Amino acid sequence: MNKQNQLADIHNSGKAYIIYKSKKGFDLYTNFSKKIILNNKNIKSFLSRKFKNKNKKTDLFIGFFGYELLNNLINVKIPGQKNINFPKGIFYKPEKKLEIRNKIKFKSGYKYKRSKFKVNINKNSYAKIFNKFKKKIKSGETYQIKICTKYKTKSKINPLDFFSKLSQTNLAPEAFMIRDKNYSVISCSPENLITKKGSDISTKPIAGTVKKTKALNKIKALNYFKKNLKETKEHNMIVDMERNDLSRICKVGSVKLSKQKIVEEYKDLFHYVSLIKGKLKSNIKNIDIIKAMMPGGSVIGCPKINTLNLLNNQEKENRNIYTGSFGYIKFNGDMRFNIIIRSILNFKNVSEISVASGVVVDSNSKHEFNENYIKAKALIDLFK
Amino acid sequence: MIYVIDHHDSFTHNVVHQFSLFDKVYCDNYNYIDIKKLHDASVVVFSPGPGNPKNYPLTSKIYKQFKGKKKIIGICLGFQQILFCEGAKIIEQKKIYHGFQSNIKVISNQSLFKKGKIFKVGRYHSLKLKEPFKIKNFEITMRCLESKVAMSFENNKDKIYGFQFHPESFLTINGNLLIKKILST
Repeated sequence: MNKQNQLADIHNSGKAYIIYKSKKGFDLYTNFSKKIILNNKNIKSFLSRKFKNKNKKTDLFIGFFGYELLNNLINVKIPGQKNINFPKGIFYKPEKKLEIRNKIKFKSGYKYKRSKFKVNINKNSYAKIFNKFKKKIKSGETYQIKICTKYKTKSKINPLDFFSKLSQTNLAPEAFMIRDKNYSVISCSPENLITKKGSDISTKPIAGTVKKTKALNKIKALNYFKKNLKETKEHNMIVDMERNDLSRICKVGSVKLSKQKIVEEYKDLFHYVSLIKGKLKSNIKNIDIIKAMMPGGSVIGCPKINTLNLLNNQEKENRNIYTGSFGYIKFNGDMRFNIIIRSILNFKNVSEISVASGVVVDSNSKHEFNENYIKAKALIDLFK
Repeated sequence: MIYVIDHHDSFTHNVVHQFSLFDKVYCDNYNYIDIKKLHDASVVVFSPGPGNPKNYPLTSKIYKQFKGKKKIIGICLGFQQILFCEGAKIIEQKKIYHGFQSNIKVISNQSLFKKGKIFKVGRYHSLKLKEPFKIKNFEITMRCLESKVAMSFENNKDKIYGFQFHPESFLTINGNLLIKKILST
């Protein structure tokens, strides 16, 4: 049986499975023997587990940490928010891994009823928040902050349909999909937050995105980013912040900018990317790494703690998975985690898409509000 | 030994790594000061951080306690913190510099650095020193070439130094040399 048929079989069987973009295609994980629902109490013991068997391809936990859980881990408080009671984090132990080497082809034939998405913050309220944060920048309380807006609609979806469509048009390097009985996530995240192998660790922040056109090739995209002062400053800030977060856990002198402000080309867009590497100090455990790096700075703002506090006091709704991290922890200690952005969470037949864009001192409210909509639109269009 | 006081910033550990190239460094949050380490240190560094010097009274207290007794170095907020303790006013500036690379120039012949030398540096600051500013033994030694905003001061009598820019940023060229010189004086 070929892999596409196997995938369709697994999908149609109704059992839970996860797909994660790999270098050469996609990895599918299923036949879960354990499902661990994380909360503020059990996360520490989950992260300090030790394992005897570590050689099989399925000797790992795969899943996600939600935003609230990550805040709690670094003692940042979130005041009471509207909550849909979605789990704070879930990890699975797979017993089967399937490596898919080409695109995912799947069509359920299921017809979606087109329903309208509602945004939780309108243009005027957005402008108010924007101006409030701009004042906070002027007084030095934050240097950059990302306002999150959430688009929601009532809908039943077939996640594999959506993911298959996404994989035709947008091969984001950190794309993933989770299908479980009571929820699903479809994500075309482009951003790797942690790659850890032995004592080597790296992070690859993205700050700056531009749409590809016929006139705009890679070289022109680089020129665009270099000339665009706002993108350049935002990017610089993220690079220094990620250097800082790695420096908390890495050996002195080992944190290096291995790729500085390069352009990466994807099917529809160019990203402005840097790659920062380091060597872990010998006494560092995975929980230390997660506390130092998460939630990923590039989607929050800077400096991290003060900016998180400003955001949490402003936002009325739980972020759920948004700006959390998805990935795996191998039993030998190696890890790969992304930042959960550009994602759809479907839970209790409601789909939500969260997006954010940055307030820096010279950005403008209308532009950023529209920027948020453009980011959401790529996913909203899947519902057509 | 160097003791870095962290003001909850996302750049403090870059500072720690930079100073660690030259000496043993300990770092604690300003709310959790280790009194013994603070007393043992020969150099105290005030980290960058969000907000205004008046938000950090504990740091001001430490400054006043150790002024003239230990070498004290302030970076960004730390720079402002020291000047604030000396009676200067710290104010908002019209043009804000976050993630900005600027050319700055050594303007004083009382500086450890050669007058006229130009450095390329990274900046992250909303606030600045209000001038004119005149306090005994404190000399503004570097300024932004473009905006003329004060970028460093030196008090070579009491061994107190401050940088408004970030020597630890990847945007600062030869930042390690700057720190080395300040530490070896």
